[in-house]
Amino acid sequence: MSIIDITVEVCGMAGDGTIAAGGLINEAMSLAGFSVLGFDSYPAEIRGFGRCVTRSRIGSSDILALADVTHVLVSLDDEQSISRVPFLSRPATVIFDNKPPGYIEEAQSLVAKLEPDTHLLGMPLHDLAVAASGTARGRNLTALGGFAAIFGASPDFFRQVITKKFKRKGEKVLASNIMSFDAGYNYAVEQFADRLQPVFVDATQTDTEKVMLSGNEAIGKAALDARLKLYFGYPITPATPIMEYLAKHLPEQGGRVVQMEDEISSIGAVLGSYYAGARAMTATSGPGFALMTELIGLGVMAEIPAVILDAQRGGPSTGLPTKTEQSDLHAAVFGGPGDSGRIVIAPTNVSECYKYTVKSFQFAEKYQSPVIVLTDFYLDNRVENVPPPSSTAGEIEDMTIGPHKDVAGSYVRFEDTASGISPRSIPGAQGFNYVATGLEHTKTGSPNYSPEVHMSMTEKRFRKLETALQDDLPKPKEFGASEEMDLGVIGWGSTFGSVLEAVNLAKQKGHRVGALKIISIFPYHRKEIKSFMAKCREILLPELNFSGQLANLIGPLHHGEIIRINEVTGVPISPATILFKIEEIIAQLASSRVHDYQN
Amino acid sequence: MAERHCVIIGNGPAANEAALTLREKDTDLRITMIGKERVGCYRTHLLPNYIIGKTREEDLYVHPTDFYADKNIKLRLGQPVKSVDFSKHEIVLDHKEIVKYHGLIIATGGKPRIPEPFLVFSDIFLTLKTVADANAWIKKLKQIDSVLLVGGDLTSFVFADALIKMGKTVHFVLNDESFWPIRCTPEIFNQATGALSAAGVQVVPCQRLKRLAVQSENSVHVETDSVSLTVGAVGAFFGLRPDVSFLARSGLTIEAGIIVDEHLKTDFDNVYAAGDCAQVFHPELKDYWVSIGYSNAKNLGRIAALNLLGGTFEAEMAPTKIFQMDGIKFNTSWWTEF
Repeated sequence: MSIIDITVEVCGMAGDGTIAAGGLINEAMSLAGFSVLGFDSYPAEIRGFGRCVTRSRIGSSDILALADVTHVLVSLDDEQSISRVPFLSRPATVIFDNKPPGYIEEAQSLVAKLEPDTHLLGMPLHDLAVAASGTARGRNLTALGGFAAIFGASPDFFRQVITKKFKRKGEKVLASNIMSFDAGYNYAVEQFADRLQPVFVDATQTDTEKVMLSGNEAIGKAALDARLKLYFGYPITPATPIMEYLAKHLPEQGGRVVQMEDEISSIGAVLGSYYAGARAMTATSGPGFALMTELIGLGVMAEIPAVILDAQRGGPSTGLPTKTEQSDLHAAVFGGPGDSGRIVIAPTNVSECYKYTVKSFQFAEKYQSPVIVLTDFYLDNRVENVPPPSSTAGEIEDMTIGPHKDVAGSYVRFEDTASGISPRSIPGAQGFNYVATGLEHTKTGSPNYSPEVHMSMTEKRFRKLETALQDDLPKPKEFGASEEMDLGVIGWGSTFGSVLEAVNLAKQKGHRVGALKIISIFPYHRKEIKSFMAKCREILLPELNFSGQLANLIGPLHHGEIIRINEVTGVPISPATILFKIEEIIAQLASSRVHDYQN
Repeated sequence: MAERHCVIIGNGPAANEAALTLREKDTDLRITMIGKERVGCYRTHLLPNYIIGKTREEDLYVHPTDFYADKNIKLRLGQPVKSVDFSKHEIVLDHKEIVKYHGLIIATGGKPRIPEPFLVFSDIFLTLKTVADANAWIKKLKQIDSVLLVGGDLTSFVFADALIKMGKTVHFVLNDESFWPIRCTPEIFNQATGALSAAGVQVVPCQRLKRLAVQSENSVHVETDSVSLTVGAVGAFFGLRPDVSFLARSGLTIEAGIIVDEHLKTDFDNVYAAGDCAQVFHPELKDYWVSIGYSNAKNLGRIAALNLLGGTFEAEMAPTKIFQMDGIKFNTSWWTEF
C-alpha cells in the first residue's frame, strides 16, 4: 500500500458543470475511503461567463490545507484553464478535450502553454458525450470517467455518487449522466492502456467512515442539532448556503427561517427572539455585519444572547464577494461604538465549524452576550470528509443561568456577581420581569448615566467575558511545540491548516518550530499565548488581511515584533508560502547566531 | 503576429539542431518545436542498451526538458500535427489548434519501414524506433525467451547482440530486404551471417516469410520457405521511411521524402525540410538523395535553420557515403561506420 497526496483541479466556464464535476470527485474519493479537502472558486455573477475552478486534495492521511501545486488538471474549457498552468506540478497530468467543436488559436490553447513534461491525455469529451447520451452536457462526466480510469479510481464509487446527485431528476437524466461517465471511462481504459497511473488502486485508505460536509453545511447542521428555533437572515455570499440549508431542514424540527428585509432587522429579530427565550441566530458577511454593529451593541448593553456568524469575504464594502479574506477581525472584536465587549470565536476547519457553532449558543446563553463566529469564504465553501459530527444532550442544553425562584418580586436583572454573570429571566415569568435597554442602567435595569454606574456596569460586562475565558472558551492549543523553539507560528481561522502543515514540514526538516492555534479571538487567553511566545525566539503570524489584525490584537503579549505574513490575494495562504518564510527566518536566526559568536 | 515565429515540426536530431541554430543566430526569434512523441530528443542508438538495462532512461535524452525553456525555445511534446496550410502559414494540430508561423522547418524524421511483402504482418511485428517501442520490448522480453528478427538495419545488429547478452535465443532472417537501403549482395550476406553466427545468433536463410501466426500472447509460429519455428516475438528492422503522411494533401512535392533543393528549401517560401524526412537535390549528381543517420540529420537541421534566416548554405556533400537503392540515393552516415 502506498501513501498518496494528490491534488486535482477541474476548470471550466460557468455553465460547464465544473463545480458539479469537482463535487463528484470529492464524494467519490471520500466514498473510496480517502481523506478529501475540496474548495471551489467561481465568479460572483450568477451564470453564463467567468471561470470556475474546483480543487480537491485527496490523501491517505488527514488533509490540513489545500496543496500548493496541482497534480491533475481536468480542463472543460481550454481558455479558462490557461490561468491554472502556473499552479501545475512538474510533471502534471492534463485531461482535455482534443476534439472540441471548433478550432482554437494558439493564444487560446491550453496545450500550447503546458510544460513539455506534462502528461497530456486528450479525450474527445464533446464527441464522446454526444455519442453516449445525445447531448454534450455530460462532457464533464465524460472527463470524470477519464479521470477515474487513468488514476485507477473505482468507477462504481463514481456511479454511486452520480446516482445520488441525479436520481431526483429522473431516470432519463440519470441514465444520460451514467452513460456519459462510462463513455469517458471506457475510452480512457482503451486508449491510454500504456499510460494509466493507477495511484488509487494500491493507496492506503483511511478506515473511518466519514461524511462530506462544507463549512456552511457543518454550521447549518450544528444549528439544527443545537435545536435552533429561529433563523433570521438576508442573503449574502458566502453565508447564504447556511440559510438555504436551514430553510430546508429547520422547519422539519419545528423551527423557522425568516428572510428579513436587511441585516439590521435580522440581528434585531435575533435579539428579540433570544430576549423572549428562543434560540436564534443570523449569518452574514462583512457588508451585512457592518450594518449589525449598532444592534450588537444593544445585545452587549442589554446582555441579550445572540449568535452571529460572519462569513468573511474580501472587503471593504462589497469588495470581493467570492474571494476569501480574514479582514473582519477588527470589526468583529471592536466593531461598534463604546466598549462593547463580546465573544468572538474562529473555527479552523469543517469539524470545528460544527463544534463551535454548537458551543456558540451555549456561550451566548451562559454569558448573555452576542457571540460572533468568524469564518471565511474558504472555510465556508471548502468541503472535507469528516467523522459524522454529533452532539450530546449536555452540549446542546440551554446554559441560561436563571434567577432563583425565591427572588421573585425582588429580582435584580443585572446583579453584580463575582463572575459578572447576572441571572437572566425570560419575560413573562411573574415576579421576574425587567426592562432591557440600550441605555446604561443600574442593576435593576433603570437608566442611569452616573459615572459610578457606568464604571461598575462596564467592568461587570467585561468581567463575565473573563469568566468565559477561564471557564469555557477554547484554550489555545500548541502543536509540536517544545520548551525552546527558534520560531513559533500562530494561526487562526482557515489559515491554521496551512500553518500546521508548514510547521510539520519544517519539523521534518529538523527545524525547531511549533504552532499555536487560537480559536477564542476575543477575549483571548493572554497567559497561554504569552507562555507559547516565551518559548520562541521569534513569532510568525500569517493571516489573510493587509493590516495584520490578530497580530495587532495580541502583539503586545510578545517581547518583540511579531513577524507577519499578510496576504489579500483572495485565495488561501499556501503551506509553501509559510514554509518559505519559516526557513527564511530560521536562516536569519542562524546567521545572527554566527554573528553573535564571532563578536 | 508582432514577433517573428519560427516553427519546427519534429523533435529529433535535425529538429533540435535547427532550433538551437535559430536561437544561436537570432535571440529575439520566437521558436516553437512541435513533436508528436511524448518524450524529448533521445539517442536512438542507445535504445538496445536501454532495453537490456545497460543505459538508464534519463541517459537516453540529449537535453533535459528545462534546457529548451532556458534557451527560450517552446518545446511541445506529444502533439501530433494533422496538416499544414502553406498558403495561410498555418499548422493544424491534431487537437484542433491552429499555430501560425513565419518560417517553418519540417524535421519529422522517419518511422519504421515495413516493406510491401511484409505489410500483412504489421500488427505482429515489434519495431524499435522510439522510447515507447523500447518500453514495449522491455515488457515483452520479461515474458519470452526467443526472438526472431527480420530485416537488417544497423539497429537490428546491435539489438541482436543485446538480446544474446540477455540470454535470449535470437533467430535472424536474412534475405533481399535485409540491409536496406543497401542491396544485399552475396558478399554482404556472407559477412553478416558470419558476424551474427559468431555472436550466437541463429541465422535463418530464406527468401520469404510465408506465414506468421500468433498462438498466444507470447508465442508466434513462423513459417519461412526454408524452416518453421516458434518464437516469443518478431521484430522488424527494415530501416526507416520519412514520416510525412500529414503533408499528403498540403501541396508539397513528396517522393521518398519532401523534395527540397540543395538549400533544403521546399516549394514554398520560408518552408524547409531537414533530416530523414527530406529528399535533397544533389547538384553534382543532378539527382536527389535521402539522408539517414544521426549526424547527417544534425547537419541538415543546422543548414535548414541558417537558410531560413537568409543563408544560402548547401547540404553537405559526401558522395562516398551515397548509395543507391531502388532508384533513390541515400547518404548513410552509419553504414560506413558499421
